[in-house]
Amino acid sequence: MARAARLPRMMVSMSVSEQMIAEVQPLIPALRRYARAMLRHREDADDLVQDVLERALAAWSSRRRSASLRAWLFTILHNLALDRLRRRSRRGIDATIDSVPEQWLAQPAAQERAIEQQDVLTQLASLPEDQRAVLLLVSVEDLSYAEAAAVLDVPLGTVMSRLSRARERLRRQMDKGAPVNAALRVVR
Amino acid sequence: MSDEPITEADLQAHVDGRLPPEHDAAVRAWLAAHPEEASRIQAYRSQAMGLRQALSGIADEPLPAGLDLRMRAQGRAPWTTLRPIAAAACAAGLLLAGGAGGWALRGQDVVPRAGTAALAREAVSNYAVYASDTARPVELAAAQKGALDSWFSQRLARPIRAPDLQAAGLTLIGGRLAATEHGAAALYLYQDRAGRRLAVYLRPMEVEGTDRMKPRREGSVAGWTWADDGLGFGVFGTAPDSDLHGAANMVRSQLTRL
Repeated sequence: MARAARLPRMMVSMSVSEQMIAEVQPLIPALRRYARAMLRHREDADDLVQDVLERALAAWSSRRRSASLRAWLFTILHNLALDRLRRRSRRGIDATIDSVPEQWLAQPAAQERAIEQQDVLTQLASLPEDQRAVLLLVSVEDLSYAEAAAVLDVPLGTVMSRLSRARERLRRQMDKGAPVNAALRVVR
Repeated sequence: MSDEPITEADLQAHVDGRLPPEHDAAVRAWLAAHPEEASRIQAYRSQAMGLRQALSGIADEPLPAGLDLRMRAQGRAPWTTLRPIAAAACAAGLLLAGGAGGWALRGQDVVPRAGTAALAREAVSNYAVYASDTARPVELAAAQKGALDSWFSQRLARPIRAPDLQAAGLTLIGGRLAATEHGAAALYLYQDRAGRRLAVYLRPMEVEGTDRMKPRREGSVAGWTWADDGLGFGVFGTAPDSDLHGAANMVRSQLTRL
């Protein structure tokens, strides 16, 4: 897939209007959160969000006014996040990316909550990408099912079935206290 | 209402609090009669809450200057604020992925400073920095190919044009000028359907103005160099060797005055 051509820097900054900033700025924290939860790497995630903002600014005038701005931004973000994850796995460096949430989380939580939170994030990290994405978009980012379907580019029914599978898998893992390992399950 | 079957989608929507009140009441009634399902649904609810709590801190972090549109609009934070670190991290990642396989000439005492060996070194460095850059891998995009070609032709003081590698499944992304000890070099970047990038690198040669095609490799980046009539060529990427060789031959047949 060819990358969208980038506008030279000057043209981008000239198109930055007050109104656009007012609409996009409040959504940036959520974009960072989704990016970091998907990539599990602080700098990589912020770099990704910057990429999203640049593209959004460049395409601002051509976006469909009727569509939800949030869904539009998350669509750009999600696709770029998948690109990065694929590139990473091609390079075989996914294993070196922070598997310990405390390295990419914000400030460490209080001790007892920290363990709980790291547990749920560690389990989340072991879900397949598409399940992780739907769970984050719906449960954490509070996108409507229709918005999530638009972001993931799948039918609504697929959102519902993925959501169901993601939750069930996460529940089983949390019950076991370890990621479900296909090989282990066979042995047992 | 109660004779309508409760679907799994209803249960999920109940977890997310997205059912109309009437319908939600029906689901709650059904769950009251199915305790096992009720405990599963309860687990999903606490899971969602756990995720929200665990991740809420990220959204509360102050925005770095590079991501703050307001600051940027006031001109206090250029777009590049965040970039240098990230680009360096990317390049490091690329080299890391290359593993222990170092530069083929590392065993020798002398780093090549001229000839196609030096050109190979430059091309690989440029590939490491720019091919992995998702933000601005090129200065001029493929849409401005005409401007790109004439810019390169002017800087390299000879006619230069981007080879057409569509037949090898490679689409031109664009290009940028690179600085070398030997003056300006031209870097064209291509991308295949798998997202792998390929660099075509050209610069004038003071020595080895004519050199045969030679395979080169540094870590995970491999390719070919040659020189013809004072112009040096490098074709580098992370694709399989046979693909790289095919692309290099294609570049050569289009760009060298044989």
